[in-house]
Amino acid sequence: MTYLELRDVRKNFGKVEALRGVSLTIGGGEIVALLGPNGAGKTTSLEIGLGLRSADAGNATLFGSSPRDVATRRRLGVTPQHSGFPDNLQVREVARLVAVHYPHPAGIDAALTAAGLEDLAKRRIGTLSGGEQRRVSVALAFVGNPDLVVLDEPTTGVDLQARRRLWDQIARYAVDGRSILFTTHYLEEAEALATRIVVIDRGIVKFDGAPAILRARFGMRRLSYVGDPLPPIPALVASVDRVDGRTIVTTGDTDAYVRALIAAQEPFAELEIGVSSLEEAFLTMTGETT
Amino acid sequence: MNVVTLVGAHTRAMLTDLKRTPGYVIPTLAFPTMFFAIFALPYAHTAAIADSEMLSYMAFAIIGVTLFQFGVGIAAERGRPWERYLRTLPCPPAVRFVARTGCAMAFGLAAAALVALVARIFTPLDFNALQWLQLIGYAFVGGIPFVLFGITIGYWVSARAAIPVANICYLLLSFAGGLWIPPQYLPGFAARISPYLPTRQFGELLWSIKAPGHVGQALIVLAAYTVFFAALASVGYRRDERTRYA
Repeated sequence: MTYLELRDVRKNFGKVEALRGVSLTIGGGEIVALLGPNGAGKTTSLEIGLGLRSADAGNATLFGSSPRDVATRRRLGVTPQHSGFPDNLQVREVARLVAVHYPHPAGIDAALTAAGLEDLAKRRIGTLSGGEQRRVSVALAFVGNPDLVVLDEPTTGVDLQARRRLWDQIARYAVDGRSILFTTHYLEEAEALATRIVVIDRGIVKFDGAPAILRARFGMRRLSYVGDPLPPIPALVASVDRVDGRTIVTTGDTDAYVRALIAAQEPFAELEIGVSSLEEAFLTMTGETT
Repeated sequence: MNVVTLVGAHTRAMLTDLKRTPGYVIPTLAFPTMFFAIFALPYAHTAAIADSEMLSYMAFAIIGVTLFQFGVGIAAERGRPWERYLRTLPCPPAVRFVARTGCAMAFGLAAAALVALVARIFTPLDFNALQWLQLIGYAFVGGIPFVLFGITIGYWVSARAAIPVANICYLLLSFAGGLWIPPQYLPGFAARISPYLPTRQFGELLWSIKAPGHVGQALIVLAAYTVFFAALASVGYRRDERTRYA
């Protein structure tokens, strides 16, 4: 069953083309990371999928019907990007208010404990720190026990321990056909958690697939050796660094560089070739340079 | 998660929020009673004067709370991320409206009850049980156009402007409606426009409990304002929806 679907969605804000035909499908039992630079269209795509905005063209459905249907949203839990809660309410009061909307909510205590908020349950939200408020937002997305949980930057401004706890929670939650869609700026987070990564850049989907495929397709490889760098090779994009007598080359085609190194009869030793990180793959894809 | 449960949950959240802002609640509740104590108590020596003054200031109390609860409340909240978040919950928009109306009604009646309490203690009021009941009924009916007036302010005016706008509407209309000074003593211009104001007709409706009046006429004018503000409020609401969730 398709939980969330965007089909060729377009959206303009004035003259700015925010989305230029975004298609995206999320089914049961998936953990999908939505990545992209700021202003790439992640938030707009989410908002259209959640019924907070309407598409200029194309189609958005949630569990097969309109995202604005009340019945449809009983299967959806969302975390707000900005907190902005009613300051005077206690954490558990807000959690209870949200839980009331769902047919099979998690227990309030269980939901707060899962987010490590049990000690803050009786605190008024206005007295919490930014990171604590962020954790409350995340807990609210889970409290209704929905089939699809959408987390918008759930770990921004959150300490390392809380981040690890959330990673565990996400991994444990996405079973029995339940799915999670999250946006993040942290590539390690996407790599660690997601079963699928979707990259949006400048209003279109640049990649949609497993993390390993993303790395293989866009990943640069890294080659290093003790010795001097070669003069620039025509038709080979590479960045070259020298650290402590080692030359470090990052390029899409390490084989070509090795052939050139041998052909040039340049002395080298301790040759190493490795895969670079997803972070580098991402930057390659979105056309940014380190 | 049926609609009644949802209305209850949202009403409770709003009341809890109010309860924890005594700096807002107490002055708002006390303001009409303070006016009553300053401007009406010293002159309320007879039952007739006490009755009509109490009725005037009860109308004043209900109008104030509805304009502020709706006008200022909606204007402040409609742009907040929390409202946006609530849109993602499985909750029909009407639930929030009904909860807000219930809150404002309860709050307005509390402000009016405080006026009545002070009047009952310090003036020679002459009210029987039936007349109190009639008063509660009339207060509800007469309050409806002001609820819609408040919603209109809430959707047409920015959060910053809502407080002064609500204040000006509140004080000017109460004065010209004859709620502070009996209509026959209003100065020239105010006296001329007074019969056409919703505040005046709300007053007329309440005064009719103790004195012969034109209940039918008051109800017709209030009904017309109800339609007028309902139309303005719904256009304002749709305009906000279109720009915010387009």
